[in-house]
Amino acid sequence: MGIMSHAKFRNLVSRSIVGVFAAAAVVACGGGESSTSPDRPSVVVTYSILGAVVGEVVGDTADVVVLMPNGIDPHEWEPSAKDIELLNNADLIVSNGLDLEGNVMEAIEAAEEDGVAVFHATDHIEVIEFGASGLHDDEEVGYEGEDEHGDGDPHFWTSPVEMAAVVEALGIALADIGIDTGDRAAMMKESLLNTDQDIRDLVESIPAESRILVTGHESLGYFAHEYEFEVVGAVIPSLSSEAEASAGDLATLKETIADEGVSVIFTEMGTSPDVVEALADEAQVSVVELSTHFLPEDGTYKTFILQLASMISVALQP
Amino acid sequence: MGNFVRPFLDNEFLQRAFLAGVLVSLTCAVVGTYVVLRGMAFIGDALAHGVLPGVAGALMIGMPAMAGAAVGAAVMVGGVGLITSRSKLSNDTAIGLLFIGLLALGVVMVSSADSLTGDLEAILFGQFLGVNTSDLVAQLIALCLVVVVAVVASRPFLLLCFDADLVSAMGYRAAWYHRLMLLLIAATVVVSFQTVGALLVFGMLLAPAGVGALISKRIGTMMLWSAVVGVVSTYVGLLASYHFSWAAGASVVLTAVSIFFVVFTAVSMRRSIVGDRS
Repeated sequence: MGIMSHAKFRNLVSRSIVGVFAAAAVVACGGGESSTSPDRPSVVVTYSILGAVVGEVVGDTADVVVLMPNGIDPHEWEPSAKDIELLNNADLIVSNGLDLEGNVMEAIEAAEEDGVAVFHATDHIEVIEFGASGLHDDEEVGYEGEDEHGDGDPHFWTSPVEMAAVVEALGIALADIGIDTGDRAAMMKESLLNTDQDIRDLVESIPAESRILVTGHESLGYFAHEYEFEVVGAVIPSLSSEAEASAGDLATLKETIADEGVSVIFTEMGTSPDVVEALADEAQVSVVELSTHFLPEDGTYKTFILQLASMISVALQP
Repeated sequence: MGNFVRPFLDNEFLQRAFLAGVLVSLTCAVVGTYVVLRGMAFIGDALAHGVLPGVAGALMIGMPAMAGAAVGAAVMVGGVGLITSRSKLSNDTAIGLLFIGLLALGVVMVSSADSLTGDLEAILFGQFLGVNTSDLVAQLIALCLVVVVAVVASRPFLLLCFDADLVSAMGYRAAWYHRLMLLLIAATVVVSFQTVGALLVFGMLLAPAGVGALISKRIGTMMLWSAVVGVVSTYVGLLASYHFSWAAGASVVLTAVSIFFVVFTAVSMRRSIVGDRS
């Protein structure tokens, strides 16, 4: 499709630019130095939310470096030469997997070939297939949209239960490469399951018929699955925020909103705000912006997921 | 019948997108005809993408995207003028250099900013379905300006297209009118890209005007045909986007380019049967 090849062309351009700068940087510094201290092992995590969890598990047994700036769209982010150096010098790379970090995977695979241990979080969860979220899987939304992802939904961090499974596996993976985190993984897992209970209490008061979600792109599948919500549609019905809206999808969504009595569109970074606004205006519903990809100020996953849950809960209260 | 009109009646966002598409089509019919006749497609493409660093910079410091795009376009047009007047390098070398230089600068700026990527994607690849009233007003103003300039400068523009040497002989300053024409292209790109995205602007500059140039030899008729093709493409493309869930901007461009090739085939077949009489 024209638009994709265009994006790819720009990726190519930016990649070659990165390459040029990489060469320049090496010449200038005579080989870069990583910012981590040499005596402690280094764990490199791709994005901030997973990074917060990994940081809590690792504690002071290793340096945790997060590649992507907090809040950036991981679907679109591109690594710099320094980031690739960090990946190659890591003792463990923790990535989300399922193509979330589409532009970093090549570098991670290259590092893996060179012997760096890699932990893909989504290898340790029960993957939801695209379009299978929610309680009953209606066929009414055209789910054959333009996605660059595979079919597995990568946004597992919207469920603390799945995150707990990842934490458990991460503890083992860390032990495998000689980083002993003691009982921190077990404690973190317990805390995540407590948070899960908190969220259940939080959403308990939302009546079943109000538990419907319309989102920016398909990012709340795991949350919906865990807490018995139904994702009835998305402005861009794709797992990636990179696809473009189509008139057919928007019109279908507008109908769905009317049929299902949806009162709120949950939008997020990466979704064209103008399109969401136009749709909300016309369907006479309100817009609530969720931070599905942004770690809050105190830097903990717990605050992140509780904020997300409470924003949804407040917006959907009758 | 219902399938062809109802989507537009039912959905305000489609009405606004159609209206925006019509305004862009009319603007591009005028400007695109000059672009096609004078072989200025490359500068059009370069402008549509070279505005990227301007837009990125404007968004970073909280300015309207259009102001940034205008700065980007000015650098592009000014830079090309400077290189071609102060060196023996050809026009397309100058355009290519600035095009890729500005694009690269834009990508570097975006990659160093923390929260820009999503926004920029939307701006470059169209928020065709999120057109709002102020976009429509800006587009209407641009259309009026373009039409006024094209009418006032119609004679020198016509000479530029068909016999550039005659422009100076008739007492017009050729370079001045060339710059004015560049300014029109820049203005069209800067205003329209925000409404419909860079891809669509460039497609609408070339494809409908290309059809006009295929079937007519008079500049006014070319513009008229170009406008018709633009409006029809907008309608058919949006309808396709509705019924088949295709990306909106790309569907419109695809329709316009398809029309070009259908007309091209028809014209060449007719020529080979009737014989070229021109």
